[in-house]
Amino acid sequence: MHQRPLKFSLLDYTLLALLLSAAGYITFRITVQLEYNWNWSVIPQYLFRYDQEQGRWVANYLVDGLITTLRLSLWSSLLAMVLGLFMVLARTSSSLFLQLVSRCYIELMRNLPPLVLIFICYFFLADQILPRLGLETLVAEGPEWLTGMVGWCFGQPSSLVPFCSALLTLAIFESAYVAEIFRSGIESVSRHQWEAAHALGLRRHQALIHVILPQAFRRVLPPLAGQLISLIKDSAIVSVISIQELTYQGTQLMASTYLTIEVWITIAAMYLLLTFPCSMAVGWLERRYRRRRV
Amino acid sequence: MEQPVMGGDDYIISAERLEKTYPGNLKALDDFTVRVKRGEVVVVVGPSGSGKSTFLRCLNGLEEIDSGSITVDGIPLDDREEHRLEIRREVGMVFQAFNLFPHMTVLENVNLAQQLVRRRSRSEATEFSLALLDKVGVSEKARVYPDALSGGQQQRVAIARALALMPKVMLFDEATSALDPEMIGEVLDVMRSLAGEGMTMVVVTHEMGFAREVSDRVVFMEQGRIVEEAATATFFTAPARKRTRDFLRQIL
Repeated sequence: MHQRPLKFSLLDYTLLALLLSAAGYITFRITVQLEYNWNWSVIPQYLFRYDQEQGRWVANYLVDGLITTLRLSLWSSLLAMVLGLFMVLARTSSSLFLQLVSRCYIELMRNLPPLVLIFICYFFLADQILPRLGLETLVAEGPEWLTGMVGWCFGQPSSLVPFCSALLTLAIFESAYVAEIFRSGIESVSRHQWEAAHALGLRRHQALIHVILPQAFRRVLPPLAGQLISLIKDSAIVSVISIQELTYQGTQLMASTYLTIEVWITIAAMYLLLTFPCSMAVGWLERRYRRRRV
Repeated sequence: MEQPVMGGDDYIISAERLEKTYPGNLKALDDFTVRVKRGEVVVVVGPSGSGKSTFLRCLNGLEEIDSGSITVDGIPLDDREEHRLEIRREVGMVFQAFNLFPHMTVLENVNLAQQLVRRRSRSEATEFSLALLDKVGVSEKARVYPDALSGGQQQRVAIARALALMPKVMLFDEATSALDPEMIGEVLDVMRSLAGEGMTMVVVTHEMGFAREVSDRVVFMEQGRIVEEAATATFFTAPARKRTRDFLRQIL
């Protein structure tokens, strides 16, 4: 297919100029009308600071927050995928009981505000159940490699319990959407593929594992990746239970420095730093799979 | 409880008094009885919607019958999952739309059931698969994905895949109907040579030339019932029923 080369026209330049002047006007209003003192120079020190004791640069509030957000998103995505897969297997199974369980789960999770879910999970999980498991002491008294590994994967041991409850909540919440995405993928595979697998004497689970799921998975990769990007963004809500992720660090920093606008613009940029490469990767995957026609 | 199995049965397939009704009161099979001897090639013909495909798909349990009984190689097709799987191991099926697995190479398609169902090692399976692909004439395509093959090649791979379990019976469900005319011949050639090797085959087809040349017996059905069943020569030269003569006049 031949495509016309894309160029900016005079109208585009005019619109661009209008946009830029709008941005300039807003900056002007903030500066003049709010008598806001712009002070970008202090922001870098909240990203990294020089540690005198260790004699090297270490992450400060904001980068710490970014790392926590990254950890939170990564682990809850993985857990959401596993939970989602189980839920969709239950949903498509031949057992009525399992079907009902997964339907209830999916409908409940998709129809509750995540914030409410966070509070429920936090006060039940973090307050009542997780401390009883003695995770913290287990990690603190465990061998050094364990403490080190847990620290590297989940952050400081002292905040392990709230972190885990946030992680679980996000995973539970997202897994309902992941399950629906998986289900659409499984249903998009033609029933002829099931028949061919059955005619070859494959059992149901063998057909599922070797024939249906690989095809379904390739098809749902783009929406799945999109869902995981939205999980990165959704992870901001766990700031309400004081998980020290990026948004929470932002609120703290704002309270102590009053540099509201600088802080939030910096944080927006940091979220973009996480999500934008993911979006690019999704686009690349989509193009790749379109070429290979699954 | 085990159902009694008749020993020394001549018939490898016996389908007795099958009944099947689709939703909307559509009779797909109506008091339908067909028995197939070992090594016999039976062609099932009839107008579209007469229940030919339904009959084939009931034979390996892809569809449930409402009543009647099916026995394949002494194994009753009943509610027991193990019986159903056992029958499917003994019965290969080739579909109109090929139904190859698009995410696997040709070789992987043919290997899959050998490894999962027959528990062959990968190298054993590959060796046998390559021999089968050679037999159907697509061995040079073993490492490519199905979408790079022509329809005729895909269908020949599908035949190799069905043969990989060393079935005792092969079912062909309009195996050439989705093919461009110039590719029908290559698929029929493979089927012809299979019949020549003594494979038991039940073939639903519109290829009357093939039926006439290769089959031992023809079953003509309409609206789920058998209109006429006769040895091939008799069927084509001296059909007993007027309905059969009308059908043959239309189609030949």
